[in-house]
Amino acid sequence: MAAIEVENISKRYGTVTALDRVDFTVEEGEVFGFLGPNGAGKSTMINIFLDFVRPTDGHVRIFGHDCQTEGKQARERMGVLPEGYHVYERLTARQHLEFVMDSKGVAEEPMELLGRVGLRDAADRQAGGFSKGMAQRLVLAMALIGDPDLIVLDEPTTGLDPNGAREMRNIILQEADRGATVFFSSHILEQVEAVCDRVGILHQGELAAIDTIEGLRESVGGGTKLQIQVEGVQNGMLDDIETLEGVEKAWLSQEGTQVEVTCSNDAKLDVVVALNDAGVEVNNFRTEEASLEDMFAEYTGGSR
Amino acid sequence: MTWQAIARKDYAQSRDSKLVRYLLYFFVAVCLLGGYIYPITVEADPTKGEFTGFMTGSITLLLPLLAILLSYNSIVGERESGQLNLLLSLPNKRREVVFGKLVGRGLFLLAGVVVGLVGAGALVVYPFGSITVSSTLSYAGYILLTLAFGGIFYGIGLAVSTFTTSKRLATMTGFGAYFLFVLVWDGVRQGINIGLERLGVINGTPPDWLLFVYGIEPTMLYDRLVAAFFEEDMTGAYLSADASWYLGEWVALALFLTWVVVPLALGYWRFEVTDL
Repeated sequence: MAAIEVENISKRYGTVTALDRVDFTVEEGEVFGFLGPNGAGKSTMINIFLDFVRPTDGHVRIFGHDCQTEGKQARERMGVLPEGYHVYERLTARQHLEFVMDSKGVAEEPMELLGRVGLRDAADRQAGGFSKGMAQRLVLAMALIGDPDLIVLDEPTTGLDPNGAREMRNIILQEADRGATVFFSSHILEQVEAVCDRVGILHQGELAAIDTIEGLRESVGGGTKLQIQVEGVQNGMLDDIETLEGVEKAWLSQEGTQVEVTCSNDAKLDVVVALNDAGVEVNNFRTEEASLEDMFAEYTGGSR
Repeated sequence: MTWQAIARKDYAQSRDSKLVRYLLYFFVAVCLLGGYIYPITVEADPTKGEFTGFMTGSITLLLPLLAILLSYNSIVGERESGQLNLLLSLPNKRREVVFGKLVGRGLFLLAGVVVGLVGAGALVVYPFGSITVSSTLSYAGYILLTLAFGGIFYGIGLAVSTFTTSKRLATMTGFGAYFLFVLVWDGVRQGINIGLERLGVINGTPPDWLLFVYGIEPTMLYDRLVAAFFEEDMTGAYLSADASWYLGEWVALALFLTWVVVPLALGYWRFEVTDL
């Protein structure tokens, strides 16, 4: 059974369309990144998972439970870090976890969870005095309670320093190893790139693309950029290189000491061999994969 | 299973609110004071039901305030700050949230009314009165009616809490309702009477249909029910024998029960259908 089935979801607020016929499936055990610029509709989608927001059209099912009609059963299998939450000022970190355990009907060791998110020392402090990052860690710990089958994280690294963001990534990977499905939204590309099996890109309420990172790279074009340090290259040679199979474009840079080529992965060696055959001295070369950044800009029309 | 967790949390939070605590103590103290003073001021057997009428003024002034204070912020406060997002991302139904909060916060209302009125009742009958089964049952009925009266204002506060999206607006609407119903309703009635008289629509006393409209207001209904069922004082414009039947206690009881149910149901319904 699929962890999340989104069927033709639309959400309109008056004349504004927040989501437009979005349709995708997340399989069990996947780490799925939901990527898009701010305002693309990512949180609206997650709020529909949680039944905070009712869709104008379509259905979402979590492990087969309709989020609108069987929301409680759906949420019983989820651990959530929602957007725009606020902790209870007067409750301590430990009391927050106890409240969630109470609500989910499970019993776990609060200190162990707090240790995992790095809040062990703050266990008995009232959450009203927490920084944004500490609150974020606390809510993450709450989301992990009861080993949920699906973990939904809305912009999980907001408010975390780079160290905290790395710990967040580790926790996501640990949870995935345990067999949990992880769905998280982000507008920060590196995070998605680092942990996700698959990515959906949302742009202005529409699903612009959905694929693996590699798949998306391929579809962006070529996928690989070669930078070759050379001596004695002539302009005409580049035209020859561009005729090679799999090569998209070749040009000179670094005042004629470097040839740059965008090409498919398979064509890399052919390019180097062709240059060598043409009498060019190849001193060094390196390849650079098309970054997700370029890809993201491509899909969202560069309108970030 | 989950409404208990919410009830416990809201109970703890309300307990920590100084305003709720002090108002609760004050309400209980006023009840006890009433129970202490009343037997001294009357010459007849104090056990008779007049004590209930004696308390109406204090109860209609304080209990609605306590009830609205407990409920007006119950949803909108957590919604505006985002605590509701945490609460509802857990396996809680919205119904369970409303019910859990009703139990956790309503406990203060229950405790205040029961402790205050049972204590007051004890002071009234001790040492000069007497207790009978029927008077005890009647007094229990009076406590129940008073609880329901508090429930009306809890419901009004809840509806305010789910129909508004900002705490500021909820505060204004909630205490506005208290102000209108409890503090200035008499003045409003008199103002309308004077206006209608000037216009020549009414002459001297307002007609029964107008009294009916005035009397739909919950504190007036409570006052009438206490007078009719517990004080057994069938006088005045509404209860005397020559008043129209629809001004009487049974219609008042129906209207009173409508007040108990409708705001609460409306408030819950609104919360159920709305996007957060």
